[in-house]
Amino acid sequence: MTEMDELRRAMRATERADGLDLDDIMRRGRRLRRRRRAGAAVAAMTAVLAVAFGVEAVATRPGPPNLPGGEPAATASAGPPAPTPTAALAPTQSPLQPLGTVVDSGIRYGADARVFFMVPIDVPELPRVTIGLVAGRRAPDGHLTSDFLLNDVSGSDRRAGFHEIGYDQQRAPTDTSIPTFGYFVGPAARIVGTVDGRQVEAKLARWSEDPQVVIFWFDPKTLTPGTRLDGIIARDPQGHRL
Amino acid sequence: MARGDAEFVEFARACSGRLTHAAFLMTGNHHHAEDAAQTALVRTYASWSRIRNGDPYGYARSVLVNHLVDTWRRPIREYPSDDLPERSGGDLAEEVATRRWLVTALGTLTARERAVVVLRHYFDLPEAQVARELDVSVGTVKSTSSRALEKLRTAGLSAPRPQETCR
Repeated sequence: MTEMDELRRAMRATERADGLDLDDIMRRGRRLRRRRRAGAAVAAMTAVLAVAFGVEAVATRPGPPNLPGGEPAATASAGPPAPTPTAALAPTQSPLQPLGTVVDSGIRYGADARVFFMVPIDVPELPRVTIGLVAGRRAPDGHLTSDFLLNDVSGSDRRAGFHEIGYDQQRAPTDTSIPTFGYFVGPAARIVGTVDGRQVEAKLARWSEDPQVVIFWFDPKTLTPGTRLDGIIARDPQGHRL
Repeated sequence: MARGDAEFVEFARACSGRLTHAAFLMTGNHHHAEDAAQTALVRTYASWSRIRNGDPYGYARSVLVNHLVDTWRRPIREYPSDDLPERSGGDLAEEVATRRWLVTALGTLTARERAVVVLRHYFDLPEAQVARELDVSVGTVKSTSSRALEKLRTAGLSAPRPQETCR
């Protein structure tokens, strides 16, 4: 018998009945479920607040939005990854031009590409919030469609750390589900989210107008759109947590 | 009790012992193992409606392993423990000896080596799945597993054999 066979036998031979408290497990499970739902509700409220503040970049009418295709500014390519907290908006139309490069995520919906770009916003009550991040689509002719605008609803949009995170709001997956996305301010080289005990790495791209702003999103293959993250961290190039 | 809850209770009763034991093999500490198994089941129950028709056991196992891996990444050291649980039936002396051997053997391995050994040889998962659950490459699983085995060989550890007669 080899060492591994012995080890295998020993591992099984020492199994024992456990005394876990199922009532306590279910009580804590319900509490966790409620917290997750509350978190989702807060995110939705945040989105509504953003609309109420009159974010100019967003028209609240549902329906396919278009950005004047024009010059799809330069295209940044993606790097890798990570996840966390959130705020989001329903599909809208933005009349604004992207600020800086349009980031191509590499995700395709037929001929359309999932892109992310910053737009200027103006919220009188929030003088330090001047940019919002759009999850949009770019058609082959360069036309940009805005699906989701994400912006801070307090403080400064350049505060170091994570800002709002956008989650797809559809209850069921669609052909154009929006990947979980957001931005981080700081020298992040990796962004990693946790969901249900699993770690998922985000794709990253630096914003052309401010390299401290790191746009990130999660590939829908690794994180189902709309799935709430349990946590998110950023690490610098040396692997230190930011 | 709702039907989903009844299903969860049945599921938890069936697998909690195995999850707890796996956590014990990975930490060498009964208290930490019970905490980890409890945490895995709490999260599993919180997501029960979403996962119950899929692979809830795989989900719980994955949560357990990742929870332990996250714990290791924090500056917390864990040490093998000699405390022995109460157990009825079987040859207690033999089991005590086997458990001591097991704790000593696994204690020679690093946290990641233990995780690989437990996933591969306790849960009998294929290497590709171990790699997915630990978020490492298949090559890392192979090399880690090989290193773990080598350590066990070098340590010259040999599991106590069941005693056939005792006069």
